Amino acid sequence: MASIVSVNSLSVAYRSGGRDVPVVREVSLEVAEGRTLALVGESGSGKSTVAATLLGHLRHGSRITGGSVRVDGRDVFALSARELRRLRGGTVAMVAQNAGHALTPSMRIGKQIEEVGGDVPVVELLEQVRLPRPAELARRYPHELSGGQQQRVAIAMAVAARPKLLVLDEPTTGLDVVTQRSVLDLIAALRDELGLAALLVSHDLGVVAHLADEVTVLRSGRAVESAPTRKLFAAPEDPYTRRLLASVPRLDDAGLALVGEAGEREVRPKAGVAADAPVVLCARDVTIDYGRTRAVHGVSFDVRRGEVLALVGESGSGKSTLAWTLAGLRTPSGGTMTHEAGDLNPPAHRRPLPLRRRVQLVFQNADTSLNPRRSVGEAVRRPLRFFGTATGRTDAAERARQLISDVRLDPALADRLPAQLSGGQRQRIGIARALAGEPDVLIADEITTALDVSVQADVLRLLDDLRRERALACLFISHDLAVVRGVADRVLVLRHGVVVEEGPTEAVFAAPGHPYTRQLMAAALEPDPDAPTFVEDVAEWEDAAAPDDLWTDHGDGHRVRRWSPVNAPIAEGVS
Amino acid sequence: MLSFLARRIAAALGTLFLSSVLVFLAVQALPGDVATQVLGKDATPDAVAALRGQLGLDRPAWERYADWIAGATHGDFGTSLVSSRPVGGEVSSYLGNSALIALVTVLFAVTGSVVLGILAGLYRDRWPDHVISTAALVGMSVPEFVVATVLVLCFSVALPWFPAVVLYGPDATVGQLLPAVWLPALALAVVMAAYIVRMTRTSVIDVMAGEFVTTARLKGLSTWRVVTRHALPSALLPTLHVIALNVAWLAGGVAVVENVFNYPGIGKLMLSSVQNRDLPVIQAIALISAVVYVVCNLAADLGAMALNPRLRTRGRTR
Repeated sequence: MASIVSVNSLSVAYRSGGRDVPVVREVSLEVAEGRTLALVGESGSGKSTVAATLLGHLRHGSRITGGSVRVDGRDVFALSARELRRLRGGTVAMVAQNAGHALTPSMRIGKQIEEVGGDVPVVELLEQVRLPRPAELARRYPHELSGGQQQRVAIAMAVAARPKLLVLDEPTTGLDVVTQRSVLDLIAALRDELGLAALLVSHDLGVVAHLADEVTVLRSGRAVESAPTRKLFAAPEDPYTRRLLASVPRLDDAGLALVGEAGEREVRPKAGVAADAPVVLCARDVTIDYGRTRAVHGVSFDVRRGEVLALVGESGSGKSTLAWTLAGLRTPSGGTMTHEAGDLNPPAHRRPLPLRRRVQLVFQNADTSLNPRRSVGEAVRRPLRFFGTATGRTDAAERARQLISDVRLDPALADRLPAQLSGGQRQRIGIARALAGEPDVLIADEITTALDVSVQADVLRLLDDLRRERALACLFISHDLAVVRGVADRVLVLRHGVVVEEGPTEAVFAAPGHPYTRQLMAAALEPDPDAPTFVEDVAEWEDAAAPDDLWTDHGDGHRVRRWSPVNAPIAEGVS
Repeated sequence: MLSFLARRIAAALGTLFLSSVLVFLAVQALPGDVATQVLGKDATPDAVAALRGQLGLDRPAWERYADWIAGATHGDFGTSLVSSRPVGGEVSSYLGNSALIALVTVLFAVTGSVVLGILAGLYRDRWPDHVISTAALVGMSVPEFVVATVLVLCFSVALPWFPAVVLYGPDATVGQLLPAVWLPALALAVVMAAYIVRMTRTSVIDVMAGEFVTTARLKGLSTWRVVTRHALPSALLPTLHVIALNVAWLAGGVAVVENVFNYPGIGKLMLSSVQNRDLPVIQAIALISAVVYVVCNLAADLGAMALNPRLRTRGRTR
């Protein structure tokens, strides 16, 4: 089969401080017509840089130091400006990572699609990406669309001129699991329908397994392994690929997977909670409002000492709002939240100091939650002094070093600024800072979402270790069910601020009772092209909870909000 | 959108009201009042009291404020203490002359500096950027009266192209004033342009590095289209308010420059009124300056609405 893309020992470098820093080193790859090649790698692997060269694009300050890129038989970097424009408009099109940022805010959707050129009417294109009411939508501005809709518009824009090759740069990163699944299905359908070749850039092995025919694994700018997808996932050859694959949490892991140097995988059974462990945190009918919109609607739960309770749901489900409220950053508009040591309803600044230090929050994004001008040692020392857990300057410094090594970092890093650490190291500092108050409840708000998969595995392990060592109660907020499966003792599934299912992790994963839980599980992508469907989705359903009869009890604390299938007798048979 | 507009206009009116109160109070707080000013230091208390009664100064302050504001809305600002003519007529003839300078300045300085700013941003770190940025920095650092003097030296002394000073009074016609407008306008433009150039440059650089501009480029659009259709609407947004503040600054900036050129504008009137303690005129000019500021900012907000669909479509349901 003819190749539409042929990259030959490509090297790219950018200039920094008068020196060339290599980003891509002698990478070669081929994409055959109608096939999909995935470039997989962690941040800094150079995968996006390689992808952008297919459109003749290099970041400001970067240049080609060797090799060539040929698309449709032509050397991309030898084209004239006019020919390059024709290539970008007609032969290759790109779907960028974040459609919210990639669409021009001041221009109507229809106009943006139209200016690509091509003969397909805008309305037809919008229909093709399964957007409702296309004629009306074409007159909207990007900010009036949801994230999933924006990504569909970006895809419509990419296929508008009927290109031969699509470059997909992390096309679903940042979308919710359910949205991600539907966007991926759309991409696959369009690709087959229009006979497109595609280069998919992703850090998510689940996405890759779902979409790609072949895979090239990049690490620090070098291709370490290339293989057909099935072969790569079944028998990865390179140790790095094996480690990468092993680091991905699976929906059927009964505990946290510990990954060895050569990629061997050992699932550590969960620590379990002592039968007599006291309840440290208790929420009853908590309701939280943002102005007139209700974000959290009558949520109740208990967390016992040493227990990890996972709050699961998509964005907008209210899980982070709940976390922030428990941490005292917002006040609830109804219900009660209590800790062993006192009332958690008042905001943090009105809670007595001894209570305040016992409930600590770790932020999702350590990059932005650490002061960029303070050393990370100071970031940890500050709460030590503030909460009075350290007496005097030398004691605080000593304790800070201890905490930094407790989170498995070299205490010598204490003098560095946050920008001088990697993402994983910063997140560990975030955890160390939360631990400085010697809390008994740790609230972890999507703490691994922004991390690479191998780093995520390390941070999850740290969290699991800490909880074993310190009998911490932990409220673990995540949208990733596979992660939750490995770390949580109990699960609480939130949808639109309402709990739809709760129970012990094993019970919920063995027999998800609510259609929304099933939908989330069905949408989760396993890093295995032949993974069997985890659960069957329920097509149509409606809430059937009556005020005095909310739950269907499945025993052992596993309960499901009442629901009923909608005019679908088949669904009843399935469930 | 309508409610946004209504709220903005209400806020503008509120600001105007507060500034009118402030202007009025500031003049009240001055030592002595109009009667002592008119009659001088040696006037007998009786004479002062008589004049106070005649001018209505013995009434409570809020009544006088209400009178003043009611008159002001009809263009009646009272009577000048110096010329004994209605303040409204006097101020408006000077104001008209200043408006001529302002118009020329705004037209050339704003368009010119926005274009230069865009060029500097697009040619970032290359020679057009260096030239423009350096020139802007110099213009920013030199006070306007120095710029004006240098301009006079160059273009009316060395090269006698423009008149150095204006010999006409406030009632001069546009035809008489037109040749004299260019040098003051240029002096103001040099000072004003610097801020706008720098702001536009920064903003263009920011936006050009943004993801949606890269996306537009990778769609295969021409550079012209990428810049004009995709980048500029977002890039000009932060510039708008800088332009508005600069245009409003003209109201004060003209004072110095007009005096250098002896131009019969509002700035000159203001200076002479302050010297003569012509309180009604000062009051009127202060109020007009406030109006200029408020109108400029309101215009900038409306411009922002035109450029930013988020503001226009607010309240529409998804």
